[in-house]
Amino acid sequence: MSKFKQLNEAIIKGDMKLAVEQTQRALDEGSNAQDIIDNGLISAMDEVGERFSKGLLFVPQMLRAAKTMQECMKLVEPLLKEGDLTSKGKVLIGTVKGDLHDIGKNLVSMMMEGAGFTITDLGVDVSPEKFVQKALEVEPDIVAMSALLSTTMPAMPKTIEALQNAGIRNKVRVMIGGAPVTSKYAQEINADSYAADAGSAVIAAKKLLGIS
Amino acid sequence: MQPISTANFQPRLKVLNREQALAIHNAALEILEKIGFQMEHKGALEKLLSAGCKVFNDGRVRLPAYLVEEALSSAPRQITLYDQKGHESMSLVGETTFYGTGSDATFTLDLETGQRRRTVLKDVANFAKLVDGLNNIDFNMSMANPEDVPIESIYIWVFAEMVRNTNKPIVFIADSGRDIAKIWEIACLIAGGEEELQKRPFLLNYSEAISPLRFPENVMEKLIFCAERKVPVCLPSGSNAGGGAPVTLAGAMALGLAENMVGLVVHQLAGKGSPFLFGPNVSTLDMKSSIVSYGCPEWSLSQAALADMRDEIYGLPIWAYAGASDSKVMDAQAGAEAMFSIITAMLSRTNLIHDVAFLEYGNTSSLEMLTMADELVAMSRFFTRGIPVTEETLALGAIERVASGGPGSIFLMDDHTFENFMDAQFLPKLLDRSRYDSWEGCGAMDLYKRCNVEARKILAEHQVEPKSPQVLKGIDEILKGCQK
Repeated sequence: MSKFKQLNEAIIKGDMKLAVEQTQRALDEGSNAQDIIDNGLISAMDEVGERFSKGLLFVPQMLRAAKTMQECMKLVEPLLKEGDLTSKGKVLIGTVKGDLHDIGKNLVSMMMEGAGFTITDLGVDVSPEKFVQKALEVEPDIVAMSALLSTTMPAMPKTIEALQNAGIRNKVRVMIGGAPVTSKYAQEINADSYAADAGSAVIAAKKLLGIS
Repeated sequence: MQPISTANFQPRLKVLNREQALAIHNAALEILEKIGFQMEHKGALEKLLSAGCKVFNDGRVRLPAYLVEEALSSAPRQITLYDQKGHESMSLVGETTFYGTGSDATFTLDLETGQRRRTVLKDVANFAKLVDGLNNIDFNMSMANPEDVPIESIYIWVFAEMVRNTNKPIVFIADSGRDIAKIWEIACLIAGGEEELQKRPFLLNYSEAISPLRFPENVMEKLIFCAERKVPVCLPSGSNAGGGAPVTLAGAMALGLAENMVGLVVHQLAGKGSPFLFGPNVSTLDMKSSIVSYGCPEWSLSQAALADMRDEIYGLPIWAYAGASDSKVMDAQAGAEAMFSIITAMLSRTNLIHDVAFLEYGNTSSLEMLTMADELVAMSRFFTRGIPVTEETLALGAIERVASGGPGSIFLMDDHTFENFMDAQFLPKLLDRSRYDSWEGCGAMDLYKRCNVEARKILAEHQVEPKSPQVLKGIDEILKGCQK
């Protein structure tokens, strides 16, 4: 960790006030916006992810760090030219049709966002048509589906079928998750990946897109 | 000797004082009056509006406290569940406690291989049969989310499999108004008609609202279905601390209770006087793994608090959990967590206690775990009974005989021991107290292995009294319509 050591540490600790101050200071001192993002913000979140996977951080600490990073981004983002902002990938996510449970899905969203993915969250009770419509619009790299109820799981293959029918199944990777979902089920319905929890969803997404 | 005239004291756990209980209750009422909830079932919403609720501009329903008070006073204080042969089996009232399994585990520990594998319909049968054969397990839930039945009618298949393999009361799950109607048809067949089922219900529906404060259409459909037919029901939401609810237990309880009150109000408006089992599920979301814990002390604490609130305020029988674990295998952690929740649920006198024999935070079921829990419940019952103090148990006569009986006189030989030992002592079946050599000689088995042997033995030998051929045929016909 570099010249942005204090900023890195403020983000890791989730000290929002200090992190925003440090970001502003870096900008005032003439640091390049992309440099701040890469070495001040994203690198801090990588460290947070690392510590979390080792069991050294708890979920709320990680989420607070992500929130802190977002606050800092608000200062830096306007200074970037359009198209400059590097994203790890675009993720379209939602809880499938008939299912209104979203705690797990929200957690996945937040952790992916913290890891540098761009998230489009469709919310709950998302029909296959809605998934397709939004996928055509935002052209995501990954379509991620969640279900808590075993009775709503069949909406997952239906959504995959709808992506197929719309001719975009081969343009996206499909990830699924949720309490009754298994990796075996993911194979059966030809999803590309299954993740048991939010942490492994980030790892699986990176793996799907071939990024570290 | 001083004679004992009053009833003997029985150990009892209390965790809240009256002031705390009222504060949580009032917070729940305030949530309903000020924050409101989302009601997604039109019929339920209409009932609420005509009873005095209001929808604010934010689309959320506000519910006045008096409706809760009315519902609390019209719901019955006692729910009696019968077995499937029509005998009274579980009288949920006051301080009675009953234990049973849980529902919808995705995996089970295979009895033959010990491996965790996806559950199938046969597992539903095995758990039901084992429940039927265990003395201290009072009711049955499916323990499986089988992969080998049509998913659209999974709960009908599961229910049919349960009634074929046990005659004990059943707590069942349904998806919506459609499958619950089929399940109810099967139940009517078994009870001998709708009226008989109402008179002697052997089933209770478990359904969940979504925390925070969301009431989906299908959930309300089931609730109203049960209210109209007097099928006992419970509607605990998953107001887990840190997940669906605030991380602090008092707030999580207030939210869970508020959600339960909405369910109760709708239920009593749809069927005044119909039986409603009260209480939320307040466990914790683990702050590292984000699983909902089934072995944490918080869940036991929150339901002990609910029991105190029942005594202080609600008066309705309550829903609870015990005998489960977050451990992936049946190890020391599983034993410790299971016993912790079993004894505290009993000491705090929660009424209907489910989820016995879950491992892996409710994701995996285990027949061995159920067999062990049966013994842990027996051990807890012994403890909770307290110490009977009577002329017979003070045993001054025996003391005099042995003390003055001269050389060779021992209590083991005295008639008082012979006459009392079965009742005076807890006599374990599976918890091993044998001397070392004998334990080694019997294969040096640990508790997991002994429970495996016992579970296999019960499944091989226990006979479940079968349903009549007509009933079985009727069930098959209903299932024929549920191939998809």
